[in-house]
Amino acid sequence: MDLSLAVDAKNLVKVFGKITALDGLDFKVKSGDIFGLIGPNGAGKTTALRIVSTLIVPTSGSVRVYGYDVVRDPEEVRKLVSYLPEEAGAYKNLSGDEYLNFMAKFSSKSKKSIDATVGVAAEISGLGNRLRDKIKTYSKGMKRRLLVARALMTKPKLAVLDEPTSGLDVLHSVHVRETIRHYAEEQGIAVLLSSHNMLEVEYLCEKVALINQGRIIAEGSPEELKAKNEVDNLEKAFAKVVGLA
Amino acid sequence: MLEGLTNVVVKELKELLRDPKILIGMIVVPLLMFPIMGLVIRGSMESVEQRLQKLEVGLVDFDHGTFTENLTTFLQSVNVSIINIAASDLTEAAIFLQTKTNATDLIHIPEGVTENVSQKLPAMIEVLSIFSGAGGIIEMSGSEAVTGYLEYFKRTLAPDPFTTIVKSIVKGEVKDVPPSTLFTIAYSQVFILPVTISVLLVFSMQIAATSVASEKEEKTLETLLSLPISRFTILSGKLVGSIIVAAVGAIAIIFGFNYYMGSFALIGTPSPVDPSALGLAPTLTGYVVLGASVFMALLSALALAIIISAFSEDVRGAQSIVGYLYTLIMLPMFVIMFTDFNALPLIAKIVFLAIPYAHPMLAAQASITGNYLMAILGVVYVAVFTVALLYLASRLFATEKILTAKLKFRGFKLRRKKS
Repeated sequence: MDLSLAVDAKNLVKVFGKITALDGLDFKVKSGDIFGLIGPNGAGKTTALRIVSTLIVPTSGSVRVYGYDVVRDPEEVRKLVSYLPEEAGAYKNLSGDEYLNFMAKFSSKSKKSIDATVGVAAEISGLGNRLRDKIKTYSKGMKRRLLVARALMTKPKLAVLDEPTSGLDVLHSVHVRETIRHYAEEQGIAVLLSSHNMLEVEYLCEKVALINQGRIIAEGSPEELKAKNEVDNLEKAFAKVVGLA
Repeated sequence: MLEGLTNVVVKELKELLRDPKILIGMIVVPLLMFPIMGLVIRGSMESVEQRLQKLEVGLVDFDHGTFTENLTTFLQSVNVSIINIAASDLTEAAIFLQTKTNATDLIHIPEGVTENVSQKLPAMIEVLSIFSGAGGIIEMSGSEAVTGYLEYFKRTLAPDPFTTIVKSIVKGEVKDVPPSTLFTIAYSQVFILPVTISVLLVFSMQIAATSVASEKEEKTLETLLSLPISRFTILSGKLVGSIIVAAVGAIAIIFGFNYYMGSFALIGTPSPVDPSALGLAPTLTGYVVLGASVFMALLSALALAIIISAFSEDVRGAQSIVGYLYTLIMLPMFVIMFTDFNALPLIAKIVFLAIPYAHPMLAAQASITGNYLMAILGVVYVAVFTVALLYLASRLFATEKILTAKLKFRGFKLRRKKS
């Protein structure tokens, strides 16, 4: 058991009825790394992230998070992981503050520590006084910033972020990306994220896995993947690997 | 095991009680509906009273004898205003009554009445009432008052060898009230309570289904399930939140109903009817049994709605699937309203009693009649049913099915397409 590995996924298979979502997926995320899973829709990215976050169980294979098995020790894994689903929502009748307080209480016990956690989220989100307003009044970008702040505020050992900038405009995307990078560096947390946005992945990730039809088809740092495929960006590298270019 | 429950419950309550649909539907409506109905009944009773105090009656006389004179004198002595209508026939008199007067009743005295009465032969007079179609107690009150006065007048002419006084036996005690009056009270209870309980059950199921399904739809449930908190705590939090809201709803319905029953006692008619004095309003025990039954049925309905909606794809799916369950509420409601449960065949009784949502309606009846045994057994039955549901829900919440299962009624869809 390698406890320096934030995630150790081995031969992961997930079958939903007649559909094989993951077909022998292997990847490792080192503690402190930002690791990107990139691939087209239906490649199996979200399924992989859900398994790591203990929401669903693999049909076969195994995933360990800092040594804890996601199937046998899901409660231990949940203490280490913070998961941000793609297009996640928040409780519309709560204010931003109430939402963050609600979430903070699961990881912090004393009022002082809860307040500190919420303070961190307020800083990450940059929403200021709007945190007092009900979430139903937020724009999509504001809601995503709140949710990213929620995912990072507890300083998890592993943040699992599914399409963190999904549906956001340029300004909000930049804010969220900067936040993730800055916070991961500052706190030394591992980040496992998925994205369609190759530029985003190139900017954020130390290591990238290209995933297609439930399998890893290439893995390495963005520079390694570009050099290996003799292209100038990850998008072209991906297209070349899957035989589209 | 249930660490974090308070946090989840507080969140649920904030979410539920800040939702205007829930606040208005489950608490405000029951609290307002019964008092408003009570006020309507009191208002209509007062209208009847006022009308009877200055009752006007048309009189068309083809007899021209002393009978009419005596009758007129009698009616005037009991403050009834007589409008004498000179007409060649009854139709002309009726048209005059309807078009030229405010009276709604016409006394027709045919030719020969005086002679027959004086010879102690049978005589006949007629009372005709205008049918407006409006219905209700006001329309009936005029003709009932006139026939009552005529009956009394008849006794002054030729006293009956005996008179019949109709009384009622309520819970073993003789009450000086005719069964027809009691029927009116019971009728209102038989209709109002089951309908209100059904509305509350349907509404709460709809809200619970929407609440859980929207968590799935908006992916807040996914985030919740990834937190360091047990699945059972999440389920319990949802249920406790729903229970508190349901309990407030049940209390609201009981308070509202109590006010409604109290409004009968305030009626200032010549024969005021107080259901409490007659033992026909629920006692404290009755209210407790009724409240417990309504609460338990609500809890059961909420648990069922939560389970079903948790396995739906979205809010619309959850609402349509929960919609199929309304039969379990509507069927007992109609049975209670339109039939006598005790007269049902044995198999129908068993089916009826197997439906958990029939029991609060039986408890509503029991709260009036005082036969609590069946109602208490019903509470126990629904409690057992609810515990089984909760066990099932906790088992399902612990698996990934909560996120991946999708209930579909393929049969229904196919049938709809064909039609």
